[in-house]
Amino acid sequence: MKNLRLMIAAMALSALGLLSTPASAQPKEIVLWHGYRAEEKAALEKVIKQFNDAHKDIQVKTLAVPYDAYADKISATVPRGKGPDLFIFAQDRLGGWIEAGNTVEPIDFYLDDAVRKRFIPTTLEAMTYRGTVYGLPLNYKVVTLIYNKKLVPTPPKTSGELVATAKKLTDKKAGRFGLAYSYGDFYYHSALMNGFGGGVFGPGTTPTLNSPANVKSVELMMKWAEKDGILPAEPSSALITSLFNDGKAAMVFSGPWFLGEIAKGVDYGLAPLPTLDEAGGKPMRPWMTVEGVYVSAPSQNKDAAFEVAKFLTDAAAAKVLALEGRQSPANQTVYSDPKVAGDAQLKAFRDQVEVAVPMPNVPEMTMVWSPATSAMNGILKKASTPKAALDVAQKAVAKDVAGLRKK
Amino acid sequence: MTTTAPQRSGGESAASAPSERGATEPLHSAGTPPGDARGNAPRRVRVLVGLSLALGLSLVLAQGLLAKALETVATERADRQAFISLRALEDLVQRAGGKGDSVRAVVSAWQQQLPAGSAVRVIAFSGIQLEASTFSEDKDDRAAPRRLSREEKPLYDRGQRLRAAVETNREEGSARKLEVEAEALPNGGRQLSAPVEVDGAVVGLVELATPPLKEPLYPSKGALALWLLLPLALCAGASFAVRKQGLLVIASVVALAVGVGGYASYSLGMLDAQVRETQTLVAGQLRAMSERAQAVMAERQLATELALQPGNWDADPYRRPLGLVTPAGAVNEAAVAARVAELRSGAGRALGGLGTLALAVLLFIGMGGLARTVETVVENRTAYAYIAPAMVGMVVLVFFPFFYGITLSFTDSNLYNTGQSLTDIWVGLRNYAEILGDFSIAKRAQDGSIVFNYLNFYYTLFFTVVWTVTNVTIGVTVGLVLALILNVQGLALRPVYRVLLILPWAMPNYITALIWKGMFHQQFGVVNHVIRMFGGQGLAWYDTPVSSFLTVLATNGWLSFPFMMVVSLGALTSIPAELYEAARVDGASRWQQFTAITLPALKPALVPAIILSVVWTFNQFNVIFLVTEGEPSNSTEILVTQAYKYAFQRYRYGYAAAYSTVIFGILLLYSVVQNRMSRATEAA
Repeated sequence: MKNLRLMIAAMALSALGLLSTPASAQPKEIVLWHGYRAEEKAALEKVIKQFNDAHKDIQVKTLAVPYDAYADKISATVPRGKGPDLFIFAQDRLGGWIEAGNTVEPIDFYLDDAVRKRFIPTTLEAMTYRGTVYGLPLNYKVVTLIYNKKLVPTPPKTSGELVATAKKLTDKKAGRFGLAYSYGDFYYHSALMNGFGGGVFGPGTTPTLNSPANVKSVELMMKWAEKDGILPAEPSSALITSLFNDGKAAMVFSGPWFLGEIAKGVDYGLAPLPTLDEAGGKPMRPWMTVEGVYVSAPSQNKDAAFEVAKFLTDAAAAKVLALEGRQSPANQTVYSDPKVAGDAQLKAFRDQVEVAVPMPNVPEMTMVWSPATSAMNGILKKASTPKAALDVAQKAVAKDVAGLRKK
Repeated sequence: MTTTAPQRSGGESAASAPSERGATEPLHSAGTPPGDARGNAPRRVRVLVGLSLALGLSLVLAQGLLAKALETVATERADRQAFISLRALEDLVQRAGGKGDSVRAVVSAWQQQLPAGSAVRVIAFSGIQLEASTFSEDKDDRAAPRRLSREEKPLYDRGQRLRAAVETNREEGSARKLEVEAEALPNGGRQLSAPVEVDGAVVGLVELATPPLKEPLYPSKGALALWLLLPLALCAGASFAVRKQGLLVIASVVALAVGVGGYASYSLGMLDAQVRETQTLVAGQLRAMSERAQAVMAERQLATELALQPGNWDADPYRRPLGLVTPAGAVNEAAVAARVAELRSGAGRALGGLGTLALAVLLFIGMGGLARTVETVVENRTAYAYIAPAMVGMVVLVFFPFFYGITLSFTDSNLYNTGQSLTDIWVGLRNYAEILGDFSIAKRAQDGSIVFNYLNFYYTLFFTVVWTVTNVTIGVTVGLVLALILNVQGLALRPVYRVLLILPWAMPNYITALIWKGMFHQQFGVVNHVIRMFGGQGLAWYDTPVSSFLTVLATNGWLSFPFMMVVSLGALTSIPAELYEAARVDGASRWQQFTAITLPALKPALVPAIILSVVWTFNQFNVIFLVTEGEPSNSTEILVTQAYKYAFQRYRYGYAAAYSTVIFGILLLYSVVQNRMSRATEAA
């Protein structure tokens, strides 16, 4: 008897279960991949939770992918339809993914002027490939001037002031330097290069490594290192960190990743990179890296995925990501928020990004790094003159690019 | 009649082997009985079966190819005609400014002369507008002009794709990306899309959908039957007249040639006629469209400063004029003849290939090859059945990728041209010349130091050899020393040590590699921590090639010694203790005992282990890739990781395939030399 009752109860329950399924519409599930850890991850998850609470019909699930394998995982899974609906990545791989096809969905179609105006224009430019927008910019990273307030009371505004201040603070015998940055690293050198009006690619993707402006920028760097002697030799990132933390480097050109390595006791400030007297007072223009949110091309729910991307890049989300995730949002309206405006770090990077140049997102860029690095090494070791070394690099890149283009 | 005997013997064990040999005897005699008189009939049958199979196979395949070619010709014909209409419309839309009422007027005027069932639309990028449309779904509240709705996003994306293609091709001065897209519609029609350019910039897209295409011409079955049966009849007749086996085979080859040749001339003639007809139709279309466009231009009072250029309308997907039809609308005979000759040589090659295949089949069967093969397979069927699964696996997983990789190495395959066929991007030995012919290994700097070119193949090869030799030396030395220690008689807790020392081997090596990478971290790594404890300065391990090399050396040393230890330990325990006793009695020192007894006794076990370990280390991808990542600037890259980077960071697949083939060549050479040497040592 008891068994029968139990059975009836069970049947009734399962019938209820059957009934309730069609009654409530299944929410669309959007999978979002990102490479964040620690506070950035927590902030992103907080924003996603806000989204999920506000939207009953779309539910977002996040997955943190270890950064080392992230790009390859995207290249391998997304074109085969096994990947996420949305993913966050920097713009440097964008061109490669677009040329490979079926990875990143163009989103020009969805963009109205209100959304376009939300972003700092150059960050949206970083998301644009051959005239089509492929992602919404989320945040940016840019190199700026970081200085020790004890040694440098007022940061230099021009390169003349920079050299003068740095010379006073340099004492090579005691291992003290006025300025330290990875000047042999092409990424850091970009600030000088773009400042002189140079660049890696001319119109389109024609390599222009040996342009006169680029040569001039390298010559100025060599002047700082050799004649002025304000820079340490063989500047590895580790050396720069330890010099700055020991108070032996007064100024550093570096980005937000450097701030986490500064020792507790050091009182530091951030300021825009100086203008270049040698280039007629034009500012130094570092490359910026922009992380964007991309809708994956094989996604089944592109509309919903775009809604999530839009939510992630609006002012409210940007505020959380900025204040809790310590990111510099690409959304420009958020900087009028008093809390964000009052944050010295965010404000400094916002000032610097005004003159920053998006790092090229074309796939040809991967062919630039190693010839450019060899050229910088050759110049620093005096194996060749700046012009000769850049000529060699130009030839190598032009050859690689032509190799990719044949037919 | 004879199959029962081998079946039984196959199912039984080796005990029945003698009877098996006896049982197959009748099979042979039944297949090829001695004596000419009795042997003629089966031979005749064999040749005829071979001929019919060879002819049937080649003609059916040829029929399939011909049907496919005719279909392509029909689609091309429809596309070219539609394309001329589309290009004419594109020209008019451009003259009308790309948007606004005049575009709609042009489109409705154009629709009137299109065949029933066609439709056109114009899309403008600014404002994402559907400017004009004659599609049946764009009526009433969806009538143009209006903003595109969300489900029409693919239309807009296609337009943007064409715009990007036009700009890319123009900038590079090449024809790399399609400037016109054509696709099949579900109803059997074709849809073509072309960009609209105003003042040199692409501002929109025109599309034309055709009504369902006519069924393409299908090759006649009569011709197939004729060229199949006629040679067979010929050969059958010959078989009664000719007695000798050789002559009969020759007759069958002639018959095959007649059949394949006859069908080839039939199909070439048919293709030829179709292609020529296409040109006439296209020329007619060009004339009609040109007149029509002039009329619309006059009627709508469009700008006429630039004359219409109908010659450009008949173009390839990169909008380069084909030149098969003159601008005036006449067939350009010279160009068409060249085109037909090209087509003929292509079709001739395909048919020649088929003929060769058929000849091989005919000879294989006619000369008795098939009979013998079947016989062997039947006889050893258990063996074949056993290796079949493994063979399938090997073919799919090993041989196919291997040969595909080698083929790829002769092409210029890269990110941009993965869609093209391999013959289009064939470059022969260029990749190999580029890899092996580059000798700029290093140059001398001003201050006398040497600057290496880390991307050079020979530098990487040198580094790989150094890496292999040092690693194997460390692995063998450490492994052997530990084995000798563990082999000490009466060592307490020996099992515990053994387990502990084998642990590095038991862990997945990428986990070990990542742990070691962390240990060498400049700031938080345990190695620098220890150095600082003793008052030293921490080292930035990955900043110089030498220190970077030391980190991978340590990691791989840690990973490789347990294997050598286990191998040596096993060999050590098998050395009889009496040998050492005798040596001690003779007054040999410990070192003498080691070199005269231990090492020679270990040699048979150690040499194969070292050979294996050299190959493993040479290709030790995980450690290099995970620990140094080639830093600084590719100086600690070994050949395999370099090949990986060429493929997946520089997107040069063909070059990377050539690189891998070179690596394969080096290892092949190594193993051949190694084999020779070990055989020589064994003989000595």
